[in-house]
Amino acid sequence: MRAGGPPLQQGTTTANATGGATTTANATGAANATNGSAAGVGPTAPETISGWLGLGANPDPGVQFLIGIVVASLIATVFLGLAAFAGIWGKRKITAAFTDRIAVNRVGPFGLLIIVADAVRLLSKELIVPEDVDRPAYDIAPMLVPFSALLGFAVIPMGSGLQLADPETGFVFVFAAASIASLGLLTAGYASNNKYSFLGGLRAVAQNLAYEIPLVVTAASVVLFAGTLRMSEIVAAQAEPLVTVAGFAIPAWFAFVNPFAFVLFMTANLAEVGRNPFDVPEAPGELVAGYMTEYSSVYFVLLYLGEFLHIFLGGAIVATLFLGGPAGPGPAALGLVWFMLKVLAVYLFTQWMRSAIPRVRIDQLIEIGWKGMLVLSFANLVLTAVIVGLIV
Amino acid sequence: MNPWIAIGALTFVAIAIPLSMMGLSSLLRPSVPAQGKRAIYESGEVPTGSTRIRFNIQYYMVALLFVVFDIETVLIFPWTVIYREAVGEVGLLSALAPMLGFIAILVVGLAWAWRKGAVQWVRNTEPENWQVSR
Repeated sequence: MRAGGPPLQQGTTTANATGGATTTANATGAANATNGSAAGVGPTAPETISGWLGLGANPDPGVQFLIGIVVASLIATVFLGLAAFAGIWGKRKITAAFTDRIAVNRVGPFGLLIIVADAVRLLSKELIVPEDVDRPAYDIAPMLVPFSALLGFAVIPMGSGLQLADPETGFVFVFAAASIASLGLLTAGYASNNKYSFLGGLRAVAQNLAYEIPLVVTAASVVLFAGTLRMSEIVAAQAEPLVTVAGFAIPAWFAFVNPFAFVLFMTANLAEVGRNPFDVPEAPGELVAGYMTEYSSVYFVLLYLGEFLHIFLGGAIVATLFLGGPAGPGPAALGLVWFMLKVLAVYLFTQWMRSAIPRVRIDQLIEIGWKGMLVLSFANLVLTAVIVGLIV
Repeated sequence: MNPWIAIGALTFVAIAIPLSMMGLSSLLRPSVPAQGKRAIYESGEVPTGSTRIRFNIQYYMVALLFVVFDIETVLIFPWTVIYREAVGEVGLLSALAPMLGFIAILVVGLAWAWRKGAVQWVRNTEPENWQVSR
């Protein structure tokens, strides 16, 4: 939308003002993203830091890279920490709550120190590499999965000014980055030289292929409303109140504007992150552990971590596209808290489904994907286009 | 600032983190080679045959279909971005009808694939001939 022009002018205006002025997305008014201005869109975190250091809005590329490293490390640390918290402790506690058990409670308060204990335990396990594995591929696959998930966080506006980058095609980038994981899963399955792994890898790819299209097409219906692919502008487009019920303004989050698309997206997202009812790639009981069967020690940690990072990336995409991103009551500086709460809510939803819903069979999965979700997502796109066309 | 430099920085970090975890683990973990430990896991049985087996053709059919719809998605995106403006400029019908036509062609394609059974899970016919001896 912001046609032409250097991609930096937004930084020159805002970053030179008081650096930390967080005019984040839920700043009121003027956030009509369709009129082509970047109003209501704050500076990204590297721009803010550059402003603090007095380097101006456009420092040397090397300096930009260094600042980028700092912010990227911060984001990666936050989400790795969250994945460790959710994957080691939260998962057990939530599943236990659903099955009326207590789960970990021995090490530390509420068993929280089990996170440290398990991290050390898993990293210090012996790495057993099976015979005849496809060696470089076997080593690369566990790196690809967390890599793809971490890369996706680059363009997510997390509130409180924490956004690594805000390119005009951020929306496309985040889906592209998230899809790299399928490659990692197939590589892991094929390289392991194990039949369970092989079938798991194939299933993972078939599933991601089948549900990628409904996911992206449903997300495209959000773009119809927002009229931009820039993530911060998509968030800004959701800032205006939709209706006011008894003095309480309901914001125009796309989950409220288009609940049908939201339900479709949440379902497709469950398949993308491989959680019940769509966890056929791992399917313990059919395939042992799917593509993870032959992985041990740090390789297993990386695959497991990557899986949880993907759930959080899925949650971050849902929060950004449908739940107003960092929007919430209170000052704009609280944006990060609201954003994290929304991400954790989506995580809780996946774990809830995991406890509550049985797994579908692989043939049912393919049929639901291609005959149900695909058709519904296109119906949703066309309907949304008609509605948007009529209200414009 | 160039957003792609920052994304490049995250790429670097996202590669460095798994590598450093592997490095840390290699310092911590023991290595106890033993016979039979490296056998691939087949539920505790002695592994039989190769993993490079013939598998269901369905995976290939689905991948072919995906290519079609993936390209379609790429072509839909520019339209979704300009749609609101286009409706304002040329009216609803002119903005919507071409894309409806495009989607309709693809839906015809999907219907054909559906009828041909490309999205129907291919069944192995062999088990039907098997008789379980009782």
